[in-house]
Order: sequence, then structure tokens, then C-alpha cells
Amino acid sequence: MIDKLLLGLFSGIAFGFVIQRSGATDPDRMTRSHLMIDANIPQFMLATVALSAVGLFGLQTAGIGHTVILPISLVATGLAAAIFGIGWGLCGYCPGTTWAAVGEGRLDAVFALVGGMAGAAVFAHLHERLIPLLYDPTNMGRLTVPDLIGNHFLALVIVLFIICIIIYLIGRIWKNDSTTD
Amino acid sequence: MDQHQLKNNRYWNWLPAAFALAGVIVFIFATFGPPASSSGFVSTLKGALSNVVPDYVQSKVHYRIIPGPGSWLFTFILGMAIGGFIGGRTLKRSITDVPSLWRRRFGDSQITRYTATFLGGFLILFASRLAGGCTLGLFISGSTQLALSGLYFGVLIFGFAMLTARLIYGKEEK
Repeated sequence: MIDKLLLGLFSGIAFGFVIQRSGATDPDRMTRSHLMIDANIPQFMLATVALSAVGLFGLQTAGIGHTVILPISLVATGLAAAIFGIGWGLCGYCPGTTWAAVGEGRLDAVFALVGGMAGAAVFAHLHERLIPLLYDPTNMGRLTVPDLIGNHFLALVIVLFIICIIIYLIGRIWKNDSTTD
Repeated sequence: MDQHQLKNNRYWNWLPAAFALAGVIVFIFATFGPPASSSGFVSTLKGALSNVVPDYVQSKVHYRIIPGPGSWLFTFILGMAIGGFIGGRTLKRSITDVPSLWRRRFGDSQITRYTATFLGGFLILFASRLAGGCTLGLFISGSTQLALSGLYFGVLIFGFAMLTARLIYGKEEK
């Protein structure tokens, strides 16, 4: 048990350090990404997904690791994404970066964290009412791209290819004037 | 402030940063499972509320499905704060409580900024709990596992955040 807690602590420290160094805990940088004048953060996030997917494929080939696929609910996942996007665009923090930004000493992140606690508490209170209403009716199950294509390796290659194209396009379309600071 | 920024250390470029973070994420998949951070908020709340209103916590599904503070999820977010602290202490770069783009649009009132981040924090956590995960637990973890839920959530959060930023800040030229 204590091993699990220490692994979590170590993983968190490494994760928090890297996202601080990448600039993801800087809400100004995050806002510039959303305004399409700094390409670094979206390229970083997408490249992280692509490289992690390759790494996870390696783990699965070696028979290691543990996966949990979350279901997709067209209405609930979509509505949640819309609300999430509005909050993210407003404050420039997402749940993980909030903790690292608090550690970094950003006072506005402390308020984002307290607001987050309130948001989580309100949802937890309404869970029994909202999940049957919004989540369950359009829950399509734990679908993955390999389920659609029928071949895990081919699905991985297709997803990686699409991510690479998007990273390239972000590099072309975003103005990226802050690489100098 | 401006001459201070000239002396700022630079952040890591996206590609080396992505290799570093992917290394951490693959380590987490190998030793725990899909990483998540919004559940850590629920763990913290569960721990705090269990002392005050234990019966209420027992009666709510959302607190039953997420483990309390004695869990990987909780030590992970605690570690994130420590990692952010170490990162901040070892990088010579000034931080501000009111970011510069925000200041240019809304002035340097801390109250306005803190109210906005409180509201933003409320929205992102409410939404994450509805979807079952956040940027990390649903978009990054899900997409790494090639899950449709993660890819769908990822496309929409970027779209709505870009739209919201456009509406709030207007068209930024610099």
C-alpha cells in the first residue's frame, strides 16, 4: 500500500516538474495557445499523446501495464467538453496544471483550485441526478479506434499519422511569436 | 517588469518536453494505470468531508467510486504541487498573480482575476467529473489508449477554449 502511495508521489513530482518546465502551468502561455499565437503547448500535448501511445503499445506487447478505457457518451462527454473548454479558456488552467501552478506559487491558481473543489463537490452532490439524465442515454460504451478498425497496430498508425498532421498544421497556422521569450 | 522579462529563462521546447512527459506517463501506465488528476480533487474532498459529514459522504455514489486520500490519486496530485514547486524554484523566471494578457484586457485588479480563476476552476472540475476525466485523465490518458471518448473530448475542449479565449480577449495581435 505504502509502495503505491510513494509511486504516486514520485510520478506526481516528475509530472508536475515537466509541465512547469514546458510552460503549461503559465496561464498567460495557455491563453496565447488558445488565441493561436503560441504553438508550443498544443504541440507539446499532442506529441505527448503520440509518444505515450507508442510507449503504451510497447508495454502491452511486453504484457505489462494496466489500461482503463472510459466510455463515450455523446451528450455528457460533449456537454462536459464544452463547459470544460469555457472554463479553460477563461482561466488558462486545467485541473492538473492547477496543482503544479499552486506549488509554483501562483496565487490565481490557488483560487482556481478552491473553485475546482467547489465544482467537484457540486457535481458529486448532483451525480445521482445528472448521470442518468445526461450520461446514460447516449452512452455508447468503452469504444476505441481499434474496435472500429479491427486491428490494434493499424489503428495506432492511423492515430499517430493524424496527430502528426495536426502538429504540423498548428506549427504552420499559429503565429508562434513567443518562441523568443 | 519588462526588463525583468528579458532575463527570464526559457521554457523547454515542445518536443523534448513531450519526450519527458511521455516517459513519465508510460512509467505511470506500467506501475499504476491511466494517470488522472481531476479525481484527485474528489479524493481530497472525500478526505475533508469524511471528518465533518461522514454519513453524507457514505450516501453519495461519486465519493464511493473514488478512493480517499490514502490513494495513488491523492499522492499524485500532491506530488504535482511539489513538482511545480521544485520547477519554479529552479527556473529563473518571474511569475505574476495577474497574467499580462489578462492585465491588458481587464486591468491589474487581483479581485477580478481571482474571481475569474475561481469560476474557471469551478467549471473545469464540474465538467471533468461529468465526463469522467480532465485534460489528463480523459484527453491524454484516453487518447494514449486510442479511446474514442478521449479523442472526442480533446477535440471539443480545444475548440471551446479557443472560442472562449477569442470572445474574452478579442483578436490579439501580439
